[in-house]
Amino acid sequence: MWFVRFVSSSIGKKAIMALSGLMLLLFLCSHAAGNATIYMSRAVFQGYADELHSHPLIVLIFSSGIFLVFLVHICVGILLFLQNRQTAASRYSVSTRVVANPLASKTMPYSGLCILVFVLVHVSGFAFGPEHEPIAETVKRLLGHFFYGLFYLVAFAALALHLSHGFWSMLQTFGVNHPRYNPLIAKSTLVVPLFFLLLFGGIALYFMTGIGASF
Amino acid sequence: MSTIDLTLQIWRQKDSDSQGHLQIYTLGGISTDMSFLEMLDVLNEKLTKEGKDPVAFDHDCREGICGMCGSVINGVAHGPEKETTLCQLHMRNFKNGDVLVIEPFRSRAFPIRKDLIVDRSAFDRIIQSGGYVSVNTGGTPDGNAVPIPAKTAELAMDAAACIGCGACVAACPNGAAMLFTSAKVSQLCLLPQGKTERKARALAMVATMDEEGFGYCSNARECEAVCPKGISISNIARMNREYLKAVLLEG
Amino acid sequence: MELTSRTPSGPLAEKWDNHRFTNKLVNPANRRKYKIIVVGTGLAGASASATLAEQGYEVHTFCIQDSPRRAHSIAAQGGINAAKNYQNDGDSIHRLFYDTIKGGDFRAREANVYRLAQVSNNIIDQCVAQGVPFAREYGGTLANRSFGGAQVSRTFYARGQTGQQLLLGAYSALSRQIHKGGVKMYPRREMMDLVIVDGRARGIVTRNLISGTLENHAADAVILATGGYGNAYFLSTNAMASNVTASWRAHKQGAGFANPCFVQIHPTCIPVHGDYQSKLTLMSESLRNDGRVWVPLAADDKRPPSAIPDAERDYYLENKYPSFGNLVPRDVASRNAKEQCDRGKGVGSTGLAVYLDFADAIKRDGQATILKKYGNLFQMYEKITASNPLNEPMMIYPAVHYTMGGLWVDYDLMTTIPGLFAIGECNFSDHGANRLGASALMQGLADGYFIIATSVAHYLGTNALGAVSISDPQFLTIQKNVNDRLHRLLRNSTAGPTGKVTVDEIHKELGKLLWDNCGMARNRQGLEKALEQIPGIRETFWDKVFIPGIGGELNQSLERAGRVADFLEFGEIMVRDALTREESCGCHLREESQTEEHEAKRDDANFSHVSVWEYKGDDETPAMHKEPLTFEFVTPSQRSYK
Repeated sequence: MWFVRFVSSSIGKKAIMALSGLMLLLFLCSHAAGNATIYMSRAVFQGYADELHSHPLIVLIFSSGIFLVFLVHICVGILLFLQNRQTAASRYSVSTRVVANPLASKTMPYSGLCILVFVLVHVSGFAFGPEHEPIAETVKRLLGHFFYGLFYLVAFAALALHLSHGFWSMLQTFGVNHPRYNPLIAKSTLVVPLFFLLLFGGIALYFMTGIGASF
Repeated sequence: MSTIDLTLQIWRQKDSDSQGHLQIYTLGGISTDMSFLEMLDVLNEKLTKEGKDPVAFDHDCREGICGMCGSVINGVAHGPEKETTLCQLHMRNFKNGDVLVIEPFRSRAFPIRKDLIVDRSAFDRIIQSGGYVSVNTGGTPDGNAVPIPAKTAELAMDAAACIGCGACVAACPNGAAMLFTSAKVSQLCLLPQGKTERKARALAMVATMDEEGFGYCSNARECEAVCPKGISISNIARMNREYLKAVLLEG
Repeated sequence: MELTSRTPSGPLAEKWDNHRFTNKLVNPANRRKYKIIVVGTGLAGASASATLAEQGYEVHTFCIQDSPRRAHSIAAQGGINAAKNYQNDGDSIHRLFYDTIKGGDFRAREANVYRLAQVSNNIIDQCVAQGVPFAREYGGTLANRSFGGAQVSRTFYARGQTGQQLLLGAYSALSRQIHKGGVKMYPRREMMDLVIVDGRARGIVTRNLISGTLENHAADAVILATGGYGNAYFLSTNAMASNVTASWRAHKQGAGFANPCFVQIHPTCIPVHGDYQSKLTLMSESLRNDGRVWVPLAADDKRPPSAIPDAERDYYLENKYPSFGNLVPRDVASRNAKEQCDRGKGVGSTGLAVYLDFADAIKRDGQATILKKYGNLFQMYEKITASNPLNEPMMIYPAVHYTMGGLWVDYDLMTTIPGLFAIGECNFSDHGANRLGASALMQGLADGYFIIATSVAHYLGTNALGAVSISDPQFLTIQKNVNDRLHRLLRNSTAGPTGKVTVDEIHKELGKLLWDNCGMARNRQGLEKALEQIPGIRETFWDKVFIPGIGGELNQSLERAGRVADFLEFGEIMVRDALTREESCGCHLREESQTEEHEAKRDDANFSHVSVWEYKGDDETPAMHKEPLTFEFVTPSQRSYK
C-alpha cells in the first residue's frame, strides 16, 4: 500500500519528521503568542488563560492532537537515530566534520531529548498544578525558583539549538531549496530560534531574577 | 623542489572477512609536487622492495573524472582540498612531519574488499533500478526536436557531473547515499526526455537506495562539503520533492 | 592471413545501405538463443552491450574496473563531431568524411570513414534522447563549437566533460539492460585469453580481480572493446588500467594487428616533473588559440622566463609556420617541441618542456576575457603545478594520447578470427594515421550503437555454430595456459625481493625506450636499437620480476605484471611496424622521409596500405601483410602548413 511504502521509506520518514516538526513549530507559535501577554500585564495574561480554558473541548482536542504529533516526532526521531547509528556508528578512527557549524545537526537527538524532559516537567508543573491556583500565580511561583528558572533557560537554549538545524532541515526535506530564497531561509534559520529563545527566555529571566516579584 | 617526511597510518585488511587494523609507515623525501596517489605508489614500491604486501587502493584515470579513487584522509573524504579527488590532491597540501590517517570509504553498503578498496556496486544497482531514460537505440527524434532552455541544460549538467566516487556516503554521518541518488534523479527530471518516467524513477531509485543499506539523510551537509564535483544538496531537495509527489500521487 | 575487407560496392553514399540490405539478419525470436560476450564498457563496449541486449541477444559484459561507468572514455574532454550542419556553415556528411580521411593522412578505408560520418548524426539524436545534457543555445537548440582546427562548427559538447556525459548515457542504457536481465555484468574481471573452437572465437578466460580465480565464459561471438595501448609507453594520458592484453591475446590466437606504430602524441600536456610520475595530464588543445609557444633562443638558458627578453626568445612555431603559427596540427606541434628540447632549448627542471605564454593575449584582451575562456584549465594547471599561468607562462610537453592502430577488422568490424569483433579504439579502422579532435567519441559510439549489431547478426545468420561448453578441452587448455603463465610470473617471488626488479621499473624502462625511439620522430637506427633491446628487457622481466602476494587473491602487482608482460611482447611489433613504414605519415615523422624543409613526407607510392601483422610463434619473426588502400572518391593530397 502506498502509505506503508511512504512511511517505511527513508524520505517518507524524514517527511514525517518535517511535517510533525512543522506542526510543533506552529503550536510553539501559538503558545508563544499566548505567553507574550505576560509582557503586557498579569490581567491580560490571566484573561487569556481563562478565556482559553472556558472552551474545554477545544483545549482537549488541541492538546491531545499536539500530544500525538509529539509522540510521532519522538518515535520516528528515535527510530531514525537508532537505524542511523547502526549504519554509521564510530566508523573512522579519525572523524572530522567539514561543515562549519555542525553542532546543531550533530546534537539533534540530544537537544530533542532535552526538550522532551522539559515538556514533561513543564506539563506536570503547569497543566497538573494546584487546582484552584490562578495560572499567573503558578508561573510566578514556579519560575521564581532560581534553579527552576535556570532549567527553563537551559531547555530554551536546547530548543533554539534544535530549531537552528530543524527549521532549515524541515524546509530542505519538503524540497524548499531555491537559489533566490536560500539567503532568506538561511537568515530565518537564525532568526526563528533566536525569537523563541528571547521570548520564552525573557519570561523565565523576568521571574527568576526577581524582577517579576510584583507580577 | 621541496620534500617532506610523513608518518602514515593506513588501514590494512586482507579481505572482506578479515579484521583490519591501522598500520604505521614512515615515508621520507616525498616531493610536494607529487599527487597523493603517487605518494602511495612510492610507498608501495618501497614495500615491494622490502618483500612486503603493497597497499591495495583503487585508482584509474588519475585526472579526477573516473571516480575510482578515494580514501578518507584524517577523517575527510578525498582529503583537505575542496572539490578535489584524491588523485588530484597534491602533497603540497601537507607539511613536513604530518601524520596522515588513511582509511577506506566506510559504509554498511560499501563492504571492504582489501585495504582501501571498497565495493561500491550498490551505486550501480541504484542506477539500474531507474537511473535512465527507457529508450532503445535507434528511432529517436532529431536532437533539436525538443528545445531545452540553456539554463535547464546547465542545471542538469551540474547534477550530471557526479562521478560516483562515494565520498558523499563516506562523509555522511549516517552513511546516506542521498547526494548520489539525487544527482541522477535531478538530472533526468529536469530534462524533458526524462519527464515521462520521473515518478516511477524516483520511487524505484529511492527504494533501491533504502534496500542497499544506506543510512537516512539528516541534512548534515557533509556530502556537499566533500563532493569533488561540487554537487549541491539542492539536488537532494529536488529529489525529496520528486519522491513526495510520486509517492503521494502514484506510489 | 587473408585480408578481405568486405567493403561493399556501389556509390560511396549507398555502400552502408547496400551492405545492411545484403547482410543476413537473425529473427527476433531466435536472438535470445545467442550469447554474445562484450569485453570493455567504454563508449563502444557499453553502447554495444545495451544495443545487442535491446535487440534480444543474451549479452555477457566484462569490465576491469569496479563499475562499468569508469572506463577511460570518461576522461575525454572536448566533444563529439557530427555532420548535423545545425550551424548552417556548410557542413555535410561528405565534408565530415573528407576532413576525417584527410586528417588521417589518407591511411584509412574510404567506406568505413564515410559510414562513420553517416551515423554521426544518429549518435547525437540517441544521446539527446538518453538525457545527455549537451550545451544549449539560449533558444534551446544544441550548441556547437569548432574544434581541432575544423573550419565548421560541428562539435557537440557538455562543458569540458563530454566523454563523461556520453559514457554515462551509454552506461545508463547498459544499466537498464542489466536490470531487465538482458545483460549479465561482470565487473572487476580481466580478460586473460581468448578461446577458439573450430577456428571461431567462442569464449574467453577471465580472472576475477577480487578473488583471483580464473573463470571460463563461452559464447557465440566475442566483441572486444578494450581500448588502446598507449600505456606501452608507461607515461601517457591513458588511465592506469588501460592495456593491450585483450588485443594482444587475440593477436597471438590469430587476429591480425594493424598499424601498431600509429600512435597519437598530444602536444599540450603538463610536463613530467619527476621519476615518480605515474601518468600525464592533458590540457585542452584550445589553449593554443591564445597562447604563444616559445623557448629561449640559446641552449641551456636557465633564466626564469620573465628574465628572458623578447629578442632572446624563439617563437619557433610562428617563425617556422607563419600562416598557421601556434595553431599547426597536433603532430607538427608535438614534433617541433621535441626538436627544440633535443637541441637543449627545453625549459623547466627536466629540460623537457616548452613555454605556452599568455602574456600577450592578456595584454591584448584583458585578464577577464582570457579567464573566461580558459579559467578552468588555468585552475587545473595550477592545482597540479602550483604555478599560475596568469603570472608566468605555462609549461607544456607532448604526451602519448591515443592509438590509431589496433586489431585489423573488415567493414563488419570483424577481426581475422571469425566471430571475434573489435570496436572502438581497440580496432584500427577509421582514423588512419592520425585522429582528429572530437572523433574518438564519435567512432566508439558509432561502432557500438549503430554498426556492430548488423555485423553480429550477419555473422550469426551465416554460420551454423555448434554448442560449446566451458568444460570443453579448448577452454580447459587455455585456462591452464593462463594459470601456468601466472605461476611463471610469480615464480621468482618465493625467494624474496633481493636482487630483483619491480614491475614498474621494467615498465618504465620499456616506456622510455619506446618514447625515445618509437615516438614522434623515428629513424632506422633508433628503431633497430629498440628492437635489439626489447628482448633483453623482457628477459630481465621474466627472470627477475618480484611480485608480492599470491595469485589467488586481490593482487594489484600481479595484475600490472601480466599487462607489462604483454606490453613487452607488443612493443616489439610496434617497433617492427615503425621500421617497415619508411614514410612520414600522420602522427609520426620518419626522419629518413622529410622534405628539404624538414617537413613530413608521405610516400603514397610505396606505403598507401594498412600493415597487418600476423603472429607466427614465440620465437618466430611475425609476418607482415598489406591491405592496399585505394581512393576512388577522394584524391590524397599532401598536407602543408607553411
